[in-house]
Amino acid sequence: MIELQNISKSYRTDTIETLALQHMNLSVPAGEFLSIMGPSGCGKSTLLNIMGLIDEPTEGRVALAGKEVTNYNGSKVARFRNEQLGFIFQSFHLINDLSVVDNVELPLLYRRVSGKERRRLALEALERVGLSNRANHFPTQLSGGQKQRVAIARAIVGRPNIILADEPTGNLDSHMGDEIMDILTRLNQELGTTIVMVTHDERMAKKTHRLVRLSDGERVS
Amino acid sequence: MIKNYLTLALKVLRRKPFYTFISLFGISFTLMILMLVTSMGDALFGAHKPVSDLDQLVYTPFIERYTEFYDTTYTVDTIVMDDGALRFDSLQSVEPNGSMNNSNGPMSFHFLDEHMRDFENVDSYTFFSDASHIDAYLDGRKVSLNTYYADAGYWQVFDFDFIHGLPFGPDDVEQGNKVAVITDRAARNYFGEVSAAVVGSEMELGSERFRVVGIVERPLIDDRTVRGDIFLPVTTIDNRQYTSTEMYGPFQAVFKATAPGKRESIKQQIEFLADNFEMPPESDYENIRFRPGTYVEIFAGSTVMENDYDKAKLMLFIPVAVLLFLFLALPLLNLINLNISRVYERKSEIAVRKAFGADSRDILYQFIFENLVLTFIGGLIGLALAVLVIKYVNANDLLGIVRLSFSVQNFFYFLLVILLFGLFSGLLPAYRMSRTNIGTALR
Repeated sequence: MIELQNISKSYRTDTIETLALQHMNLSVPAGEFLSIMGPSGCGKSTLLNIMGLIDEPTEGRVALAGKEVTNYNGSKVARFRNEQLGFIFQSFHLINDLSVVDNVELPLLYRRVSGKERRRLALEALERVGLSNRANHFPTQLSGGQKQRVAIARAIVGRPNIILADEPTGNLDSHMGDEIMDILTRLNQELGTTIVMVTHDERMAKKTHRLVRLSDGERVS
Repeated sequence: MIKNYLTLALKVLRRKPFYTFISLFGISFTLMILMLVTSMGDALFGAHKPVSDLDQLVYTPFIERYTEFYDTTYTVDTIVMDDGALRFDSLQSVEPNGSMNNSNGPMSFHFLDEHMRDFENVDSYTFFSDASHIDAYLDGRKVSLNTYYADAGYWQVFDFDFIHGLPFGPDDVEQGNKVAVITDRAARNYFGEVSAAVVGSEMELGSERFRVVGIVERPLIDDRTVRGDIFLPVTTIDNRQYTSTEMYGPFQAVFKATAPGKRESIKQQIEFLADNFEMPPESDYENIRFRPGTYVEIFAGSTVMENDYDKAKLMLFIPVAVLLFLFLALPLLNLINLNISRVYERKSEIAVRKAFGADSRDILYQFIFENLVLTFIGGLIGLALAVLVIKYVNANDLLGIVRLSFSVQNFFYFLLVILLFGLFSGLLPAYRMSRTNIGTALR
């Protein structure tokens, strides 16, 4: 499902070049729940951004869902992200101006789905994360755990093949974190969605199928 | 998708009431001021009954007699010739030294009658006096009336709306008939009614009785040439004024050109008359001039006290335009500023939208659409405010007899300008935001 070959990423300023990733190879088969761990600044988020087509590698090749996407750009990359990828962020990144259900509908908005169908799918996704009773609330009226569940509903509403989660439990207490992990595990099992999760939490990482460790931009296990 | 943009725009506006209020206030206030200023401009300088042919009229309100004083300068050049002899070349120049004796005022009927009847490119013309007040009496009650003495041409130059009756004609003027055309307000004040029965009734004006032959609608414009309450044949004015052979008197002339482009020709003929006029030998002055002009020229000249009308128009309208521009620029700049800060505030939202499939064009359209919706709503509020203020000003006579009117055409022009401004004020920040790097924005 995800193929990274010889990926390197460097950030360059006028005077300094920083290597974030070095010659990284990674293969994630469809349906796998993979976690990535490593100390701060080791390149975890950079790796996730490259998988999510949010960032471009300096060199190397990226293939997602059987498609070579390294050179995708503009509306092509936007469409690919919309159809194949779902994102979950540590800080939730919900749009406070929109209600919960409107937030969940967001990916479908760019898929030109009718309003009625959007609403149906969004409510279904909220049902799946146990928040259908909060559909018309606004994000500011929710707890951290509830916000992350809304973010998960938003990530799955378009039925993407891949979910990329950047420390989804990082801002939550352990109880809430467990709840979120349960939801992700269930999604992986029931829908067969491939999930790649960056985490600092060894306990959460153990709940996934496989753990990849990074250090100084290189894969160490 | 447009429906989605619209829904989203309305949701965002509802969720940010303070921002929405400030923006709408700026837009609607700007539009309202634009509407009021143009309405006032139209009321002052537009063509309204009974001055419908304003763009054909040449006003000659007065004559000026003057004597310029000159300085004579002698210059002597001394040249040394080859043989050593001296040669003297002298030059004498006579130039105005800037000082002048002058006197001006309206003209006598005799002067106008003698010199201003035969101009070319004139469709019609009138000599009239607007300088009198007459007290009318009815049942021991006194009504003061602003009285105009006019010739029959007055009714051709100015197209008054007659509610009842007709204007007086050339025969009435020639025979000095005691007839009167009055305004509806004068009819109401004097007779207590505005009806056909008033026509044919007599009015006691001073020591004389006049028969009403017509009732006109009182003009609701601030033009001195038509502001009378009662209009009488010029031949019924005090005989000394009518027959006086002096240059000055209480009369002025208005010429209606055959076409707007012919006004210049009439002005030139009037100026030619002045340049070739032979002053009576006993006169204290050497020359005359008239300074004929359009309504706007006369208005500008008298407002800024400048005889050169082109200069007067610049002196009057450039400061007005600059002040207006500055006044309007403030809310508009404020709108741009608000737009920029609002768009930057929503950086993470944009990044999220892009992460979930929005491309740069979607983001650009969304923000532009939000701006246009905001501007459009502001425009509608501005329209409502302008209508309310105009009604209030008219109902309470805040501008005297001048009536402001609402122009749908102007409204759409200004709405378009405001929408364009809304578009451009949102375009740059929206474009920048549409190119947001998702990773950086969500960090």
